[in-house]
Amino acid sequence: MISSHAKDSFERIFRQAAQSRLTVDPNDVCDITPLARDDENVDSEGDVVVLTISSIEFRLILVLHFKEDSSTRDYYVREGSDASFQEVFLEVCNLCCGAMNQSLHEYFPDLGMSTPYVLHARSVTHLDQLKPAYLASHAVTINGTVQLSATVCVCAYAPIDFVANVSAAQETGGELEFF
Amino acid sequence: MIEQYLLAALGGSAVTAVIALTAHRVSRAKAARAPHVEANAQSDELSAAIARQDSLIELHQQEKRELEAMLDQLRDDLRQQTETAETLRVSLDAASADRDQLAQHADRIANEAQRLKGLGATFERWHEQMISLMTQNKDMHAKNQELSSIVRHVVIVSLNASIEAARAGTAGRGFAVVASEVRALAARSEELSKSYRNSLDLSDLTTTATFQDIQAGGKMIAASLSSVEALANQFQSKLHQATT
Repeated sequence: MISSHAKDSFERIFRQAAQSRLTVDPNDVCDITPLARDDENVDSEGDVVVLTISSIEFRLILVLHFKEDSSTRDYYVREGSDASFQEVFLEVCNLCCGAMNQSLHEYFPDLGMSTPYVLHARSVTHLDQLKPAYLASHAVTINGTVQLSATVCVCAYAPIDFVANVSAAQETGGELEFF
Repeated sequence: MIEQYLLAALGGSAVTAVIALTAHRVSRAKAARAPHVEANAQSDELSAAIARQDSLIELHQQEKRELEAMLDQLRDDLRQQTETAETLRVSLDAASADRDQLAQHADRIANEAQRLKGLGATFERWHEQMISLMTQNKDMHAKNQELSSIVRHVVIVSLNASIEAARAGTAGRGFAVVASEVRALAARSEELSKSYRNSLDLSDLTTTATFQDIQAGGKMIAASLSSVEALANQFQSKLHQATT
């Protein structure tokens, strides 16, 4: 249902969005490595943020797994800020998914995006129940200290084949207001 | 003598008379012949003039026929032009009516798109119901957690009971059987609690995924309706510009 080109495109669109939106500073180093989706690698501790991008042909579920440890909290919540970690992180996830939505919009004119929702990480172990046509997990490490993981799950309802042109200009683009 | 003179005079007079008569006849003949020639010449000229006139008349008749033919052609052309103008006028009237109808359709499409955008509120309402469902799921998670805690406590109690039954020796055999049964029940309850937790986790995921799909789909539809509304407004505006 999803061509190899399309799978590769979803992967690159995610990487571009994660590198540009999950980091607070554009100069921060963001390493993204693939994770095999087996029981050992699927961390069922902590919470996840779930967002959905819907189109006529597919729905994409972005799951961002986080642990509210001191390094993660200190990275995202700046000193003096009144916002809670969850508020700030939800907005970061919103921007990341919004960047993916914007990239996908070039190939799928009819798209909509949900608001984020927090679930227990155990729920992610059931993603296979949604019968995804594409399911990939990645470990995301920022500046060597902040450990996140992300899962992209695409359920297809029509044949999907596209080649995303993810340019360097987009990767280094400034902050955009998506919502 | 006189007779001779008379005869001579008569003879002279007769000669003179004959000469005069002859001269007179000649003169008359001449006089009679001159108008005849002139009449012939005039007759010729008249014939030539008549011929010219006939020729001119023929020419004029030819020109008249040509002019009449041209006039007929012009009349035909005028009739055709009139018919064409009438057809065009009817077409123009029809086009004007069509344009007005199209403008009304564009207006209706824009209004419908504007009205249907209200569906977004329905999708948001469904999303709020998801929050309500998820709150109930969280409550069930908490209750299941409490049940799991109780079951773990029962396992410990049943283990203690087994130990105490063993200490009591033969007197405690019956109690040991009961303790073992309670432990087995607790183990089954623990399995059931784990299974229930898994079901709740799956329910959390499917509920969230479904309602997020509805919410995102609603935004997709609202965006599409906005595009339809904008296009209908542009179309209406172009029709309005074409009218003015």
